[in-house]
Amino acid sequence: MVEIKNLSKYYGRNPAVKGIDFEIRDNEILGFLGPNGAGKSTTMNIIAGYLPSTGGTVTVNGFDITEQASEAKKCIGYLPEIPPVYPDMRVEEYLNFVAGLKGVPRAERKKQVEDSMEKLHITDMRRRLIRNLSKGYKQRVGFAQALLGNPKILILDEPTVGLDPSQVMEVRNLILELGKDHSVIFSSHILAEVSAVCERVVIINKGEIMAIDTIENLEKNMTADTVLNLTADGDKDKIIRLLKDIRGVNAVSEVKEISENRNLYQIELKEEAVRNEIMSVLLNNQCSIVEMNLAKLNLEQVFMKIIQEKKKSSLEELIEETNNSNPYDEEV
Amino acid sequence: MFSLYKKELQSFFFSPFAYVLTALFMLIFSFAFISSIASIDSNTLKFSFPNIFYDNFFFFIFIIPILTMRSFADERKGGTEVLLLTSPLSVGKIVLAKFLSILTVFAVMMIATLFFPIYTSFNGQVMWSSLICAYLGFFLWGMVCIAVGMLLSSLTGNAIIAAILGEIIMEGTLLVDQIGGTALVNAYPNLNSAISWISMQRRFVFFSQGMFRLEDFIFFLSATAVVICWNIIAIEKRRWSHS
Repeated sequence: MVEIKNLSKYYGRNPAVKGIDFEIRDNEILGFLGPNGAGKSTTMNIIAGYLPSTGGTVTVNGFDITEQASEAKKCIGYLPEIPPVYPDMRVEEYLNFVAGLKGVPRAERKKQVEDSMEKLHITDMRRRLIRNLSKGYKQRVGFAQALLGNPKILILDEPTVGLDPSQVMEVRNLILELGKDHSVIFSSHILAEVSAVCERVVIINKGEIMAIDTIENLEKNMTADTVLNLTADGDKDKIIRLLKDIRGVNAVSEVKEISENRNLYQIELKEEAVRNEIMSVLLNNQCSIVEMNLAKLNLEQVFMKIIQEKKKSSLEELIEETNNSNPYDEEV
Repeated sequence: MFSLYKKELQSFFFSPFAYVLTALFMLIFSFAFISSIASIDSNTLKFSFPNIFYDNFFFFIFIIPILTMRSFADERKGGTEVLLLTSPLSVGKIVLAKFLSILTVFAVMMIATLFFPIYTSFNGQVMWSSLICAYLGFFLWGMVCIAVGMLLSSLTGNAIIAAILGEIIMEGTLLVDQIGGTALVNAYPNLNSAISWISMQRRFVFFSQGMFRLEDFIFFLSATAVVICWNIIAIEKRRWSHS
């Protein structure tokens, strides 16, 4: 549906996006994830045809966004970071205007405006001046605007910012609903949101793609070496020493005090079977196990890990370049 | 394109903006009207309105930058520029729609001033032919000024700065004519003809005298076209170097 090939964007000499490739398939919800300043908004602005790219191509539904701009833009509904609303207009008036701007035939205009207002639950607000609406409602008016003209592709730049929790749920459900017959790309820096809504995610940092995969795969890949969460009672140092002596334990990476004499340990194992030995060793040494479970990294940890690993690899390259023999310490 | 035109017109007429400006325009016109009535001598048979325009350019032109200052600056400030530029409309059509809407407001302002000649015609005689010509000339001159004002609004991105710069440039065009009238410039015929070629006021003189010269007509139209194209290019350019 949307193909992005070798896309790059420079602001003067500063790169914002450095040669990224990905695609948005038919009827899928693609999450676009990255910290602030990663190039999310720039990329979305380019896909929507607001900014021209410095290099590379964006093809929307078979139309090139710069060569056949008008046809391509007709397939896109775009909600930018700041909702593009006119404060002096009334909600319905504004939506009518946007429908006209997008070339919706006059006969269909009224129905489409009604539908989009209904979907976003702003029908009660139709006579209100946009300037008097709260941030959440402005955001919804902006969203309603993106639905006009029945675009096949929806580009949503942080659609839930400024909404209260129940509205966030509503918008998420709406995105899921729209995902059935639209291609949706939606950006966020809230990982829980992305994992709740998206099938695939693109992780971007400093203008480069870190990973493109389904959420399950990302989580699975990141737990290639088994991590065990262990809560046990007993002397902290003693337990760490005991654990480290067990064959098959790679590292004891994180210790968090839960209460007096009770700590949480995160243990990296070579294989899952080492669990039994850990149990017997601890019990033999009079340390009682409170809880033990296999850790599955959540998206947040995956995200941090990917960014850290990239940093590490670029640091390693630097070290290699300077012929320094001291390798980067594995323990993070 | 029509929806944008309509929306722009609504933003003028659904707010006090257009009415206040029209009132100001009529106020200036009525002052000028009173002072020219006062200076009439007994030999005058027909009342000639073109002089009103001609003598009070300085005030009339003052209004146009206020009309145009918000056109693009507000879109940039409010983030609604994204909406327009991601719509299927081309930049050219966006600029044209905005231009036509401001031109419509300007036309309405001028039509409102027809009150004075119509009223005069009940009590005396009005030279309609030269009046129509003067109105046409003033409309054409206003067209160029609107295009310039919109360009400034799009370049500066700030309504107040656009308005002030607009005032300076438009009064500057009047100043060109003043310079053209000095003895120094008159000493060099080539320079003088160059100045009178670009001086819009001198071209307007013909209109106000009831002379419709194709040359002047083409000049105003092409000047407008050039400035509008410049505006389109300026918007495209800013998108490319957006930061």
